Amino acid sequence: MAEPLTFWYGCNVLRHGDIIHTCIDLLRALGYQPHPVGGPDYCCGTVKDANQTAAGGMATRTVGRLNERGARVVAWCPSCHSHMHDFMEHAAERHFDMTYLVELLHARRAELATLLVHPVPMRVFLHRHVGFNDLVPVNRMVPELLRLIPGVEVVDSHYVAPGYMCASFAGMPKALQDIHTNTVRAAKQDGAEVVVTIFHQCYREILGLDAAGAIPVYNYMHLIARSMGLAYEDEYKAWKRAGEGAAALIGPERIAKVGITFYERAILPELKKRPKLGS
Amino acid sequence: MEKPKPDPRTIGARLKEFEAAEAERILNACTRCGKCYEVCPMARYSSAPPADGKEVVPGVLAVLRGERGSEAALGWIAVCTRSGVCVPACPDAVDPRMMMRLARMTALGGRGLPKQIEPQQDADYFDRVRAFAELQLTDEERKEWT
Repeated sequence: MAEPLTFWYGCNVLRHGDIIHTCIDLLRALGYQPHPVGGPDYCCGTVKDANQTAAGGMATRTVGRLNERGARVVAWCPSCHSHMHDFMEHAAERHFDMTYLVELLHARRAELATLLVHPVPMRVFLHRHVGFNDLVPVNRMVPELLRLIPGVEVVDSHYVAPGYMCASFAGMPKALQDIHTNTVRAAKQDGAEVVVTIFHQCYREILGLDAAGAIPVYNYMHLIARSMGLAYEDEYKAWKRAGEGAAALIGPERIAKVGITFYERAILPELKKRPKLGS
Repeated sequence: MEKPKPDPRTIGARLKEFEAAEAERILNACTRCGKCYEVCPMARYSSAPPADGKEVVPGVLAVLRGERGSEAALGWIAVCTRSGVCVPACPDAVDPRMMMRLARMTALGGRGLPKQIEPQQDADYFDRVRAFAELQLTDEERKEWT
């Protein structure tokens, strides 16, 4: 019988429905029975550093909900995964085992390899950070997963960005500019054709390089999806590339669902944002 | 039967107890050698002038004690992005990443002490997540998954 899993995808990856759907298909193909959960009602509370009463309440609620599901939890989001270990499990008793998705895929890489049948000819620069790697060695594991894909070549690079993901640099434009500049420089020096991110929080930021024409950008799950023959469209990338014109791609019906005022105030600026590259 | 509502005074109590115990542990373990600051890849982005690690770290510990942090300490706390390079550099098993995270929470006013650095406000954060869920998932998926 298929092992039931709670696939805890997080909050901000909801920008990337294609990534969520690919993960679910992949877990099913590996023989699991995943139940996806995420969004603000399953928030880990890591964004509430300025209010530990709220963070504690959110941690208690989310651990409780995950306990109720009674299944092993597989996390997609590095913030959720590390926050569980660092804080949440001290706020409320955790009654489930927990794995980070990369760890699970790496442990099942022999079976994963059989699913990766379509060649994806790409010379890849992997965008890495230092911070999360000591909890889960993603900087070693993700290249090993990517090398299972026929046609993928991962270049060896010495550049590793500071921090644990790009989104935490949102309030530090100079540091983010350095990361963008160093990423493009290192990728081109190493002869890579594309930049691939491990985390969706980096994908969201680094995708600006793609939209600005500096270098094509993917998340590692996009390459796995292609090789599996999954045809989910990366709509966020299309919207980001379109910038001001994204509304036409999203369509009036969906824009109406979120409200035109909210779209223009809170979503469009993100889609229009382009990185500054230093010399 | 409806679940009883929690007493608002107890919300987050266990988390706060854990954080207080961790702060106490760190204050007792740290020998102020400054190695964590010296190896930090983010220190150069601090708005405060460059300083010696031995001078900066006592300011961070002051924040953990609920006292006013030095300009150098607050500048460093504000740019910590959890690189974790400090963890193996620490000779005293302090876990400087936890030290900086707790100092950040404290300096932001999150642990009930006076605010010393300004949080980045994003009033639309959760509404934006919900909006993307509307744009990317079906109604049924949102109902079942979120």
